[in-house]
Amino acid sequence: MNNNETTDLLRVRDLKLHFRVKSGAVQAVDGVNFDLPKNQATVILGESGCGKSSLAKAILRLLPKNVDHYSGEVFLNNQDIMKLSDEQFRKDIRWQRIAMVPQAALNSLNPVMRVGDQVAEPILLDGKLTKKEAMELALEKFDQVGVPADFLYRYAFELSGGMRQRVAIAMSLITEPEMVLLDEPTSALDVLTQANIMNLLKRFKAEKKASFILITHDIATSSELADNVAVMYAGQVVEVSDAHNFFTEPLHPYSKALMDSVPRLYGEMQPDFISGQPPSLLKPPTGCRFADRCPARFERCSDEPPVFNMSDGRKVKCWLHESDSVSAESNPDTWEEMYAKS
Amino acid sequence: MAVAPIEPSKELADVEQASTKARNDTVFRLSKYILRRILAAIATVTVGVYLTVLIANMGGALDDIRRAVIQEEIANFVAIQALEDPALKAMSQEQRNEMVAQQVALAEKRFGLDQPFAIRSFRALGSAMTLNLGFADNMTSDSGSRLIRNIILERLPATLVLMGTGLLMLFFLTLFGGLALSRRYGSWLDKAIIGLAPTSAAPSWFYALFFIVIFAALLNWLPFGGMVSAPPPETTWGYAKSLAFHMIIPVGAIVINAVFSGIYSQRTFFLAFASEDYVDMAKAKGLPDNLVERRYILRPTLPPIITSFAFVLLALWGGSIVLETVMNWPGLGNTYGQAIGQFDTAVIISLTVLDAYLLTFTLLILDIMYAIVDPRVRVGEGSSGR
Repeated sequence: MNNNETTDLLRVRDLKLHFRVKSGAVQAVDGVNFDLPKNQATVILGESGCGKSSLAKAILRLLPKNVDHYSGEVFLNNQDIMKLSDEQFRKDIRWQRIAMVPQAALNSLNPVMRVGDQVAEPILLDGKLTKKEAMELALEKFDQVGVPADFLYRYAFELSGGMRQRVAIAMSLITEPEMVLLDEPTSALDVLTQANIMNLLKRFKAEKKASFILITHDIATSSELADNVAVMYAGQVVEVSDAHNFFTEPLHPYSKALMDSVPRLYGEMQPDFISGQPPSLLKPPTGCRFADRCPARFERCSDEPPVFNMSDGRKVKCWLHESDSVSAESNPDTWEEMYAKS
Repeated sequence: MAVAPIEPSKELADVEQASTKARNDTVFRLSKYILRRILAAIATVTVGVYLTVLIANMGGALDDIRRAVIQEEIANFVAIQALEDPALKAMSQEQRNEMVAQQVALAEKRFGLDQPFAIRSFRALGSAMTLNLGFADNMTSDSGSRLIRNIILERLPATLVLMGTGLLMLFFLTLFGGLALSRRYGSWLDKAIIGLAPTSAAPSWFYALFFIVIFAALLNWLPFGGMVSAPPPETTWGYAKSLAFHMIIPVGAIVINAVFSGIYSQRTFFLAFASEDYVDMAKAKGLPDNLVERRYILRPTLPPIITSFAFVLLALWGGSIVLETVMNWPGLGNTYGQAIGQFDTAVIISLTVLDAYLLTFTLLILDIMYAIVDPRVRVGEGSSGR
C-alpha cells in the first residue's frame, strides 16, 4: 500500500462501513480505495444500492445508530482524519474542511428557519464573526450561485427545487472548504435545472474554489465534471481511472456494461442493460462480486481478484487484466491467505 | 477559512429593509388571519351552544313536561289546602279549577313558559353565551348558594391545583423523557419503557385505589383522601404543606397512569423527526448536538408539541370525575359526578357549555400559536417561489 506523502487532497484507504440489521451485517462500504487530487473532481459511479451514499457518510463520519464496523484510513492533506476524536472531527473537519451537498436538497433545509440563517450557520459556530458579517458572506455566496439576495430572508418552502439546490451549494461553499462532497446533487431535478447546476459546479471547479467528489449514477452528467472516475460495485471500488480513458474505453466489464446502458443520440448502438440484480450486501459472493452478472466470466472469477495497476496508471479489480497489468495490489484477504500458507 | 475584513455592503442593507417591509406585511396578514379565526370561533361556539340547548331541552319537549309538573303541583297543593282552608272548602269545583288555572298561568309566566320554545331557545342561548348560568335545580354550593356560577367557581381551584400539577408534570416528563430516550434508541432503558407502556391501559383512579391500599391503609404514610387535613391548618404555609401531602396519591396516580405510554409515543415522534434529512445536514455542518437538538429537532416539532400541550390544558379544566370521586377531592369532576347522580340538568348543561367554550378558546389560541411558530402558516403558500 502506498502511504507516502502525496500531493493528493484526499486519500481513502480500505474504508469499511458495515451496518447491523436483523439478518446480519450489511457491508455497504467494504474496503474502498481512491484518491482525489487537489482542485480536481473525482466521480464515484455506481447503480443504486452499491454503497455510494454510505461512502459519503463514511467520509464525513455521519454514522447511523446501527453501525457494525467502521474502519480504514482517510487522509486529508496527509492527515489521517479517522484518528480524530468525534468532537475534534466535528469542530475541525465537518464543513470547515469537508462540506457536503446532499441528495435531496428539497428536504435538507430546515422548514422553520430562514434560508440565510441556515447558510450562515456554520461560520457563526466559532463565534469569530458577527451575525451581520456572516450574513454579508452568505449574500456573497448567494451572488456566486445565482440566488437573488432577498432569498436570504425566505423559508425553504418558498423556494423552487433548483433554488434550494443552489442554496445548498452556497451553504457548502460558505466556509471555503478544501473539499465538497456532492451526493447526487442533481438527481432530484429536471433536466434544465440539472444543466444549470452542473454549469455552476464546472465554473467553481475552473475557478479552483474547491475539489469535488461527485457521487452519482448519472454517467452523462458526471462526464462533464469528472477528472477521475471510480466505479463502485457491491460496496467495493472495481475501477479507478482518469476520465478521458474511462469514457473512451472502460476496463472493467461492469464499467463497460454501465457505459453501454447509456442511450446515444447518434450511432447504431442500442442501449443495453445489465441482467440480474446487484448481490446482497448481507452475504456478498466470495469471489469477484460481479461474477454472477458478468458476460466475460471464467474460472478465476471464483477467487477474489486483486487490484491490478495498469501501465497508464489506471486500476482495475478484474482477473481479465492480470496479463496486461504492471503490478497487483494484494488485498488484505490474500495477505492473510499467504500468511496462513507460509 | 481565510477571514478577510468584511465591509457592510449597501446591498445587504437594502435586502434587510425589504425584509422588514415583508415582515410588516406578514404582521398585517397575521392580524387578518387571527381576526378571521376569532369570528369563526364565535360562530362555532354559538352553533355548538344552541345545539346543546336544543338537545338538553329535548327540542322543546321538556317544556311540556315542566308545564305538566307545574299543573300537577298546583292542583295537588290546592287539593290539600282545600281540606283545611275554609275559604277554599266553600268554593265550588269550577271556581277551584279556575283558580288553579290562574295560578298555573302565573307560574308559567314566571318561568317564561308562556312563550313558544323557538323564542325561549334563543333566550337560553343568550344567557348561556353570556355565561349567565342561572340556578341549579337542587344542588347547592358549599356556602349554600344555588347559583351555578358559585358552585363552579367554588370547585374550580381544587381541580386546577390537582390536575395542573399532575398534567403539567406528566407533560414535561414525557416531553423530555421522550427526547432523552430517542437518543438512547434500542438501549435496555428504551426496551424497558416500551415494555411498561401497556400499564396505561388501567385508568388513573385504579392506581389511586392501589396507592390508597398501600400507602394509606397498610403503611399509614399518606391520607386516604380529601384536600387538606381537618380542621384546615391556620397558616398559609401549613395549609400548603397539608395540600401537598394530600396531593401525593392523586398526582402520583395521574403521572403513573400515562407516563410510560407518553414517553414511548414522544420518543417515537422524536425518532421520526430526528431522521429528517435536515437533521443529518445539521450534523454534517458540524453543529454541536445540543444545537442540532434545539434548532433542528425541537423547533420544527413545536407545532405538534403545542397541540398536545393545549389538550393537556383542556383536560385540566374538566377535572377527572372518577379520580376526584375516589380521592374525595372537592373539584369540578366531583361536582360533575354529583350532578349526574342527582339529575341536576342545569348544572350538567352549564358544565357542558363551559367545556364547549374552553375547547373553542383553546383551539383559537392554538391556531394563533401555530401561525406565530410555523412560517408555513404565517407567510402563507403561494406568496412567491414555486
